[in-house]
Parts: sequence; structure tokens; C-alpha cells
Amino acid sequence: MSVDEGVLSKAVDEGLSLGAKYVEVRYQKDYVDGVTLRNDKVVSVGVERTEGVGVRVLVDGSLGFASTNDLSLEGVLKAVRVAYERAKALAPLRRKPIEFSEERVGRASYGVVPKVKLEDLSVEERIKLGKEIYDVVLKTALKVKVPAYMFELTTHDQEKLIVTSEGAYVRSYVPRLYVSLNVVLLEPQKGTLQRRLEYAGSGGVEQLKTWNISEDVAGEIKNLEKVLLEGVEPPKDAVDVVVGSEIVGLLVHESAGHPMEADRILGREAAQAGESYVKPNMIGVYRVGNSLATVVEDPTIPGSNGFYLYDDEGVPARPRYLYKEGLLNEPLHNRHTAKIFGVNSNAAARSMDYASEPIIRMSNTYFKPGNMTFEELLEGVAVGVYIKSYMEWNIDDRRWNQRYVGLEAYMIRNGELAEPVRNPVLEITTQGFYSNIVAVDKNLKFYPGTCGKGEPAQGVPVWFGGPNVRISKVRLGVIA
Amino acid sequence: MVGGGSNMKEPLWLAEELVTKLKPRYDDVAALVINDDTAMVKLWNTEPSVVQSWMRTRVGLLLAKNRRLLTLEISARKPEDVLKATERIEEIADKVEESELYAPLPEPEGVKALTGMFDGRVVEALNNPRPYAEAMIDSALSQGVDRVAGTLTLSRVVRALATSKGFSGMEEKTYVEAYLRAFKGEFSGHWAHGSTRLDINALKDVGLKAGQYATITNKKVDFQPGKYSVILSPLVVGNLLGDVAFMASATAVLLGYSMFMKYRLGDVVASEKLSMYDVPHDTSLPRASAFDDEGSPTYDKPIIENGVLKNLLHNSGTAAKMGVKTTGNAGWIFARAWNLNIGLGDFKEDELISELRNGLIITNNWYTRLQNYVEGIFSTVSRDATLLVKDGEILGDVGRVRIASKFSTLMKNIVGISNKPYDIMWWEVRTPTRCGYILAKDINITKPYI
Repeated sequence: MSVDEGVLSKAVDEGLSLGAKYVEVRYQKDYVDGVTLRNDKVVSVGVERTEGVGVRVLVDGSLGFASTNDLSLEGVLKAVRVAYERAKALAPLRRKPIEFSEERVGRASYGVVPKVKLEDLSVEERIKLGKEIYDVVLKTALKVKVPAYMFELTTHDQEKLIVTSEGAYVRSYVPRLYVSLNVVLLEPQKGTLQRRLEYAGSGGVEQLKTWNISEDVAGEIKNLEKVLLEGVEPPKDAVDVVVGSEIVGLLVHESAGHPMEADRILGREAAQAGESYVKPNMIGVYRVGNSLATVVEDPTIPGSNGFYLYDDEGVPARPRYLYKEGLLNEPLHNRHTAKIFGVNSNAAARSMDYASEPIIRMSNTYFKPGNMTFEELLEGVAVGVYIKSYMEWNIDDRRWNQRYVGLEAYMIRNGELAEPVRNPVLEITTQGFYSNIVAVDKNLKFYPGTCGKGEPAQGVPVWFGGPNVRISKVRLGVIA
Repeated sequence: MVGGGSNMKEPLWLAEELVTKLKPRYDDVAALVINDDTAMVKLWNTEPSVVQSWMRTRVGLLLAKNRRLLTLEISARKPEDVLKATERIEEIADKVEESELYAPLPEPEGVKALTGMFDGRVVEALNNPRPYAEAMIDSALSQGVDRVAGTLTLSRVVRALATSKGFSGMEEKTYVEAYLRAFKGEFSGHWAHGSTRLDINALKDVGLKAGQYATITNKKVDFQPGKYSVILSPLVVGNLLGDVAFMASATAVLLGYSMFMKYRLGDVVASEKLSMYDVPHDTSLPRASAFDDEGSPTYDKPIIENGVLKNLLHNSGTAAKMGVKTTGNAGWIFARAWNLNIGLGDFKEDELISELRNGLIITNNWYTRLQNYVEGIFSTVSRDATLLVKDGEILGDVGRVRIASKFSTLMKNIVGISNKPYDIMWWEVRTPTRCGYILAKDINITKPYI
């Protein structure tokens, strides 16, 4: 850690002496090393070294944030003064003061210990991996061409030290590994099919063994080739649909995680990522789904992409049940929204980097799995569709009306997977999905993502996951 | 190449110092230093939720050795700190393979400084943006709305570049980005503005237009999915054609992220009504710049002109790969547009509604995602006023619906463009775009069945 801790303490003192009611000083360092390949050729090797301090102050009920990468005492104190002065100047426009909930904040130090350090993955090995996977793609795609292949691998070391005027002192270290692929398959008569694959988690190089990307990609390409060559249109009538865990994971992130962010519920993101169909008086009362619909948010999952033990306000993390057996249960809170709701914060404040204010974010969101096998999930489906993966998706700004366009998908006939289906469109409301669940299997799987929110937009690493879920009688669309 | 202000020389000195120190060890060195002082007022329920400030110096380095290409981004202010960070690069430089996108940095050409990008009023307003935030809010409230949300961003930016080929240049500019979403009951309207200059009337117009769209109807109407003629507001045009401009980057083409993989220059890709220009020399738009990140002079150019694909956007590396000349759009590795100008048409805005006759007016959108970049298959979701028009009259708001189409279809089906320009920049339009309203026919519109 290359900041003088005394500087952070003095910055807190400076804010208090100016008259701030609350001062929070966060040092954050993000070191990223990346390599990009196009086909079997290196495009570039990139290194990012970001380091600085973000300061928040509460003054006259107005919230100010300032950041600087001048880590001298003078530089950090200047940031405190700017945050204070600009917040104070805008204070007269506030009708109600901003206040924070009372919390037992942490005094702790924690870190993820990798089995193999990220820095031990040499640049040659990174390049070799990208080439090996390209080779697998070419050897597997026997009947189609591969006009585009892109490989990215990045390692990310993140360190934080949070000091607040209320006694929080939290030091953390989280290393992360990330791999992404873009593959385009082409068959002149059938057109193209595009797949983006991502692998990510906290920890070290040992994750590559767990991911076994080459084998995973070989399976993907083999199946997608078949979809491109033999895929049929989805049925026009309403059918049972088995939504694959990859889509279930994304779906719970979009339609349970985001609408249950308390800042969205209150309108703080109204002009950017939008609001929520959820209103404060619906919590604990409104039924969005049936008893099978339980969605959990948990930053404490070891090895996860969204891992942390204390949030960026110094509040200890814990699992939260967003939807519980179909009911809206517990929104994600920071100390500001917790005060408004009259509850405690559940530690959802995260910042992308030193230059970003902490805001309410998801970490690892998943649909609670059931007991069935995948085969049992298909049983009894006379005619249906299994949608395993997707490319296109989106959702409206209240998190109600959403769309997922399948990539790898199959007809289900008499309880068995049959011919491939091309581009089935699942366009459904949040309640439409969670109310029509008829069965859930036990195969919980997580997928990585970078969740975007805030202004300026902050991308933070998350996992989302779920089992395979069967919903009844849905009409699938086709792409235009 | 200086627009004014204080502490101007420091970023250029830092860039030159880094090039001097690194030049003996590399074949090519470019150092880009960006220094900014930025304030953003974020509004929530008609009051500020936070005032954010940034005082940063960011350094980017492009280093090449034996055709190996290395980039470094670092938040540091002193040469010794930056040079320390290059140690990691130094360790791996010899182990990396040659880049197929390597090309020598360009020899300096005559870069003509741009004037008119710096507005002292922006700098003055940085420490007290309150009157400007109030002007936006009051203007929206004058339309009878219940509440507003949005942001006002004010920034002073110094950008300095030095290269081992002898280029040395610096620009200082300011910019203002403002957008507001106004709510009236279940209805809402949104508008945005981006400029290098601070104009309180433009900010009032943001509030006014957001308020007008929030109150344009108080009626919800039913809607059936299908093919519709649609009018897309400048916000929607900026968002969707911003994606087209991204795909016009030669880097996107090479990496499989572009519909233009299937086309050649000179191909018809859109209706003859559509022209889209990259305009770095429009000094009123926030990303105006005289030189790109390699020191090549920028220039205004058509990407699409009268429906014909005229240019991909290049840096030296993509240009060498494709056997053409750079277009002054570096971006190291990723070439990109500076500002977009979408050619205007002849229609007055009310005439465009008459021309639409029956269809939808989509005033704002978000969350545009592609199923397949090569085919340009996408969908995007409407937000704020989405209006059903019958016989030239607005019947009411249909709620949140989805344009689900191909970019080629959308661009080829354009039949009219309005004649008044708006300068748009907001959360969903990151490349500043000057454009009017666009009318397109036979566009697929969807919504969920359950």
C-alpha cells in the first residue's frame, strides 16, 4: 500500500474541523495487466496502474465527493476542502438533509490469498493460452468458418483502505482473474452466429484449472456449429420453456437484483439506470412470484467475482434474500437509504475505483436451486424449448419488461432434447417469469459480469447464477 | 496550441519528459497526459443527491519495441512515478510477440490549433454550479412536472501529447454535459445537451424539453406489437448511430464487433437521406480535438454519406493492416469517432409528425444490445414519452416498448430527417452527437406477451 495512513487520518480530521458531520476517506489501488489476441496473433499488452483517494463529506445535509490522485498530504487535504465547499454551496437546494443510519462499522483487515499469485502467470503463458483456445476453436469448427476470434486475459489486484470519522478502518486485498472470448462462426448459406464467453473470479491463477476453458469452448463450438447449420425456428404456440442457468443468472441480476437496489427504489438513479417497479411500501407485502422464486445476494461467497467482507462504508457484509418464496423481501442498502427505510445497512456500497463514489451495487446474485436433476426437469414436457445461452438481452428502466435472445437452444420433445433452435426470443415481464415457474433443478452455476451503474458509470465485477428453471406456457418470439 | 488557463505547461512538460526518458529504450513512444478539474451535480427528486469533484492527472503511454506493442495507463503526476510503473512493461517487453496492429508512429504533420473550445464561464461555474442547476430545474418545473432527476457536469480538461517522432501538442478545453428527466405521475420526459460552452439558455431548454415530454399526454393507450413507422428523437438517434459509429472503427471490424465486416467502402448501407460525419473540428462539441492520440492531425470526414459507406475510422495500426492511411481517429489500438454530426433534412418537426401519419414517436431509449454484431441484429428499450400517433394526432403513451431490428434495416428505412439540430450527450450517448429527429418506416416493435 503506497499511501501514508497518517494522510488519511489527517484528511478525516480536516473534514471534521471544517464542519463536516461525516468524513470518509478511501484509498484505492487497482492494478490491471491485460493481453489481447486476434486469432493467433497478439494485438497488444496493456498495463493499468490506478491509485488515489476518494473523499466523502456530509455538510449541512448535503453530500460531497471528491477524488484526487495527488497522494501528498496537501493533495488529499485539497480534495477534502473541494468536497466540503462544493457540497456546502449546493446545500441550500436540499429540502431534507441527507443522513446516514447508525452502524457498527468494522475495524478489520482481510485479503484473498491466491494459491498461485496472478503475477506468476507470465505473459508468455497468457499468450499461449489464447493461442491454444484458438486452436481448439479451429479444430472443432469443422463445417463452418471462423471469421473472427478475440481473446482477452486480465489480472486485477485491488487494494482498499477505508477510514471514516465514525471509527471505521477496513483494509482489504482482492485479486481477480478474467478471461473473455469473442467467436464468430460463418456458414455462407446460413449466415453468422456470434458467441461471447467470460470466465472470472477472485483468487489466483489456479482458477484456470477449474474453468478448463479449452474443453468448455470445444463443447460450445461443437454445439453452436450444429445450431447454425441445423437450427429451426422456435414454435409459434405457447410452450413450456426450460431457461438455462446462464440466462436465469442474468435474469435474476436484472429483474431481482437491480429493482431491489434501494437507491433505485427511491429514485436516485432515475435519470441514468432508471427507477424500479418496487416501491417502498411493497417490501414484505408484494408477491412477484410463486413459492419457488427465491433470489439471494451474497458478497461473502469465497472465490466469487463480487467478493468482499466489508463494504466501502465499512459495514460488515452478509447474505440477503431479495425475493423470498415469491415475496419482495429485503432491498440492498447503504447507510443513506437504510436511514430512510428505518433499517440497518446491509453493506451494499461499492466503488469501482478511487475516483468513484460508493453506491449501492450487487455482488453475487443467484436463484436458489431446487432438488431435481436436469432430466427430471424435462420430464413431462411434450413440446418445449430449452434455451441454454444468449447474446442479446435488455430490460426496461423499471426492471419489468425484459428480453433474452437464445443462442444455443433445443426443442424438447417428450421429455428429451431434440433438434437445435435458432434465436428464440424470450420476452417476458418480471412477474410473468417468477409466477410461471413450475420446476427448478439443483444445478447451481455462476457466471461473471461487469455490472454498470452510476454517473459517471461504474463497472464492478459480479457473479450471477442459478439452476435451470422450467416455466409454463410461454410464447417465444423470433428476431426481425 | 493553447486555449488559456493556468498550470497549462505542466502536462506537456510531463509528456515530453516521459518521451525523453523512454525513447532510448523503445522504437516508438507516445505519452498522453490528461489533467482535469470536473464537478458534477447529481439531482434526485428535484434536489442534489451528491456533488462530485475530480482533480486528476492521468498518463497514458504507448510503447513499441521490435514491433511489440505495449500500452500503459497510470494515475500519476511525477515522471519518476510513471517511470517506476513502466518497470512492469520493461520486464515483459521482450517476451511479448509482434503485434499485427503495429505501425510506426506517424511523422508530425502540420496540426492546426483549434480555437473556441475553451469557455472561461465553465471554469468560473465549477465552484458554484448552483445557479445553472437551478435554471434547469426551474425550467422543467415551469411545465407542471412533479419532480426531476439528472446531472449537470462542468469540466476543464488539458490534453497534452508528445511522441518520439517529435510531435508535441497541447489543448485546453471545457465542456458542459447536462441532462434532465422530468416526471409527471406515471409519465416522464427526458432531454440532454453537450457543448464546450456554458449557455444558460441551452440548460433551460434541457429542462423545458424534458418537462414538455413529461406532460405531452396524460393518457395511456394500448399497443400491439408489429411493424410501425417511427420517429426517433435526437436522443435515440445519438444512441443508435453511436453504436453504428463504434462499428465503423476499423478495430471493431478486425475484432469481429462490426456489421461493416460484410461491407466495402462505396457500398450502400443506408437510405440516401442518411449522412453521418465524424467532426473533430466542430469546436462547440465536447470531444473536439486538433490531433489524435498518435499526433496525427484530425479532420472532419463522412462515415456514411447519402447512404454510402465512405470511411472506416483508423489509427496508424489499423490503417497499415488494411493498406490505407490513418484517418486521425487514434485511440491507441481502438480507433474511434470524435464527435458525430448527422446530416439534417428538410422537415420541420411538426411536418415530420404529419409525414409519420400513423406510428410511434420514441423520445428516449436505453439498453441497446446486439445478438450479433456482424449481422447488426439489435434491440433497444424505449423509456419516457413513447407516443402512439394516429392520423397525425398523438393518442397517448404506449409505455415501454422495444425496437427489435437490424441496423441495416433501420438505416435503409429512413425516409425523413428534421431540419433543426440538437447537441446531445448523456449517459446513453457518450459520443457527442449533433442531429435532428429521424423518421423510419416498417420498424419491428415488440413487447412481452406475459
